[in-house]
Amino acid sequence: MTSTLLRPSRRPSANAGGRAGARSTARRRRPGYWFVLPAVGLFAIFFLYPLLSSLWQSFFSTTGGESTWVGGAQYLRLFHDPLVAKSLFNVGLILVIQVPLMVCTALGLAYLLNQSWLRFRTGFRAMHFLPAVTTLVAYSLVFRVMLATDGGAVNQLLAMVGMSPVDWLNSEAWSRVALIASITWRWTGYNMVIILAGLQGIPAELYEAARIDGAGRWAIFTKIVIPQLRPVILFSSITSTIGALQLFDENFILTGGGPNNATLTPVLYLYKVGFQQFDFGYASAIAWLLVAIIAVVSVVQFAIMKEKK
Amino acid sequence: MPKAMKLAAPLLALALLSGCATGGVPSAAGTKLSSDAAVSGQITVWSWDVAATALKRLSKEYTKEHPGTTINVVDIGYDNAYDKMSVGLQANSGLPDVITVETDHMPAYIHQFPKAFTDLKPLIGADEAQFDPSKISASSSADGKLLSMPWDSGTVALYVRTDYFKAAGVDPNKLATWDDLITAGEKVKAATGHALISTDLSTGSLFQMLLQQQGQGIFTPDGAINLTSAAAVKALALIKTMNDKGLLDNVKGWDGRVTATKNGKSAVMPEAVWWIGTLTGEMPELANKITVVPLPAFTAGGTQTSNDGGSTLAIPTQAKNPQLAGSFVKFMLANKDNQVSMMKDEGLFPSYLPALDAPLFHAPQAYFGGEKVYELFAAQTPKIPSIIYTSDNAKAGDTVSSAVVAAVLNHQDPAAALKSAAEQIATATGRKIAQQP
Amino acid sequence: MTQTLKRLPVYLVLLVGAALSIIPFLWMVIASTHTTAALFATPLPLLPGGELWKNLARLQQETNFSQVMLNSLVVAVIYTAFSCVVSAMCGYGLAKFRFRGRGLVLGAVLLTMMIPMQVLLVPLFQMMASLGWVNSYQALILPFLANAFGIFLMRQAFLDFPDSLIESARIDGAGELKTFYRIVMPVARPQLAALMIYTFISQWNSFIWPLLMLNTEDKYTLPVALNTMIGLSRVDYSGLMLGSLLATLPLLLVFIIFQKQFVSGLMGGAVKG
Repeated sequence: MTSTLLRPSRRPSANAGGRAGARSTARRRRPGYWFVLPAVGLFAIFFLYPLLSSLWQSFFSTTGGESTWVGGAQYLRLFHDPLVAKSLFNVGLILVIQVPLMVCTALGLAYLLNQSWLRFRTGFRAMHFLPAVTTLVAYSLVFRVMLATDGGAVNQLLAMVGMSPVDWLNSEAWSRVALIASITWRWTGYNMVIILAGLQGIPAELYEAARIDGAGRWAIFTKIVIPQLRPVILFSSITSTIGALQLFDENFILTGGGPNNATLTPVLYLYKVGFQQFDFGYASAIAWLLVAIIAVVSVVQFAIMKEKK
Repeated sequence: MPKAMKLAAPLLALALLSGCATGGVPSAAGTKLSSDAAVSGQITVWSWDVAATALKRLSKEYTKEHPGTTINVVDIGYDNAYDKMSVGLQANSGLPDVITVETDHMPAYIHQFPKAFTDLKPLIGADEAQFDPSKISASSSADGKLLSMPWDSGTVALYVRTDYFKAAGVDPNKLATWDDLITAGEKVKAATGHALISTDLSTGSLFQMLLQQQGQGIFTPDGAINLTSAAAVKALALIKTMNDKGLLDNVKGWDGRVTATKNGKSAVMPEAVWWIGTLTGEMPELANKITVVPLPAFTAGGTQTSNDGGSTLAIPTQAKNPQLAGSFVKFMLANKDNQVSMMKDEGLFPSYLPALDAPLFHAPQAYFGGEKVYELFAAQTPKIPSIIYTSDNAKAGDTVSSAVVAAVLNHQDPAAALKSAAEQIATATGRKIAQQP
Repeated sequence: MTQTLKRLPVYLVLLVGAALSIIPFLWMVIASTHTTAALFATPLPLLPGGELWKNLARLQQETNFSQVMLNSLVVAVIYTAFSCVVSAMCGYGLAKFRFRGRGLVLGAVLLTMMIPMQVLLVPLFQMMASLGWVNSYQALILPFLANAFGIFLMRQAFLDFPDSLIESARIDGAGELKTFYRIVMPVARPQLAALMIYTFISQWNSFIWPLLMLNTEDKYTLPVALNTMIGLSRVDYSGLMLGSLLATLPLLLVFIIFQKQFVSGLMGGAVKG
């Protein structure tokens, strides 16, 4: 799960012009290089080459062990490939449904956990965080067993309340539901812990002032809590958005992209193209398309954030 | 400082990139193996599961017979083995001396990495004819090289719940054709309420097995798409009929099949010979309730078997000690005693036909009420139809599975579903659709 | 009384959430104590069985689990230590110094977060192979040592750090590095702790790269070793569940012990403003 803190604060240093003089500015410049050198060096060595290599390969097509230069053909292919469209649709669906669902649930749970009179807060917090530390292999096997059409725990539960069993992993619609459920299960607690910390950072005086002014619980929530939490909620949303657009782990193991590509995501598709069809050029093209989309979405989110400030 | 840094990065990238341009293509076609070279040193072998167990066990015998050699067997797990091997093939480094590759994965590797495997023909010479022909064909390249050696077979037969059939008054030995089986299925359902077959439709494996039984694959010998053939339509229509009559139980994945069998969901299981290991291991309580008969034929007197699974051993050209690797592979696979021993200890059914004469294969099996089930599989193995695989099998597989689901679960007409699948594959691969007579 | 009644729904909701979160683990605990065959029967066993020691023995025998766990520990600890230092230094440099190309570095770091790692696997593998680093721990640790999330987290932490403290250290004649280690890092401890925990967890659970890199069983890390238990025609479910449970416990322990640090650390990075 990748995440990013998108707050490129341009707040100048407290005493930028204070001591003045070119010397001190230069002084402030050079050590900067030394501090970023290890990271930049590592990126340059281990990231740049594979990055450029993948870009380079996207201009080739590989069949039968031979690579031929095809220029931009692999990129053009993206627009004619129904699976690219379908995978983008799928992540779009997940983005629109799962991310708000999860962030709101996390917010609600965090709010409840923040009640001053609550006992066992540590226990609850730990239990909700547990899904985020599970190994992928284990949790996917468990989910597959639980969602089995015949005899799976979930269907057995449904039977107990008189509902008919659902073909979770074999029907297009339900497999998407199952995927959204499993992602939400895995990451809600993680986001909840983050938002909870934000809640605990809200100064008590604000609550007091609001209460003195006679504000009711709902008013306090919408006028005090949410505004104070905005940076945290944004962090959570952005993390989850990029995670949704790059979704791979959960659907790779739970559904393999099926049935009928209902749970295919761009990264899973490029993985299949690269590792099962050995067309690494096309896989690279798909990857770069995704990067472009993520970049656009991030810029949009940047803009929204700036405006609200 | 900054200027230097800014220049260094692109230069570095360029330097490394030039290395990349030549990467991925093996420079040599591999060592020419000789069948009786002196061997020494060590090799590493990758495998998984019981195959790894067999390799570890027999490698001890080998090193006793060939002092001064060391064989390292590594269990790399099955689940992502191909990702690991594919990366090694693509990067032209990182692979060991011997790798295990399933028969149906071999053709794609051969097509995509034609220079990545060592020719094993010099190793066994005429002995090649002693192997199951369908497997030799899958392991051979277009220019006649043998690029991996067949190991075990996935000969398919029909496992039948005798108790269900008895309750329905049907004799499992009288299932000459698939139509007979469907009729039997209806009787079983009426008498016991159980379905006929449990299968995972989303993998398309039942369809491909039925297609292979008729001697055909997804592609024709000249590489055209074969999905619109009469045999393909017949296979899909058969599955659809079963489902329409309520005889099909659709499950998910390996666990789904195992659970369904354990809970007796259906009356028959068209499975390979290695299913026996699962039955005896996970379902001891079903002993004496199962019998094995050949698959029903499509037309009376036709082929009654197919293939599902089975592995091979290959020697990548990047192997560091190919002679020792070749000698060891020959020891494991082109060797009657060792193949029999692997059947006995690990349940790996040989595709080396001379091994099938051993008494082991004619012994009664207690789990199956004293039946000589291995005799049946032994008799069927040489009859497995050889089919054509191409490099696009993997790509086509997903589309085929979708067509199966569309026809069977979503009530699309089988011929139409297959035609649509063929068209999709044609667009994706650039191949032609074969003209059907 | 009414107060307790009002509070009841809250506890109820939290209980439901907690239950949903831990039910799969309960299943793992149960599954660890039965044979694989028992796990496929209906009805599913709901109480622990008596196979725990047998499963443990088998797990140890088949995967040398204790060695594997040690491997994971070694790799995760080394990676976490070095990665956090690199991230902290880079974050500090980006936050507190103005230099040409700073925007470029920031943009590059952002870019690395957007690239799906899967597409970099083959070229990176080739690089490791040509360096002779296949089946080595440096291949696991070095390529991903610079971590974009870590750099951003630390950058935020240092942005909020009062410059006056740094200035006074400079006036006192302290070198930049000394200032960094003696003055700045200790104050950023919560964020650092948060980063260390997050880094440790993701390295511990890292799967695809170690799978591709590690070729001998004595070097396997936990996710790779557990994955080998998924066989072709048989899956040792009970052993796998036990192994996964044992693999999760250290992480849970780390989280519980450092909970306070973790939470306030992430907060410091994300909330202000």
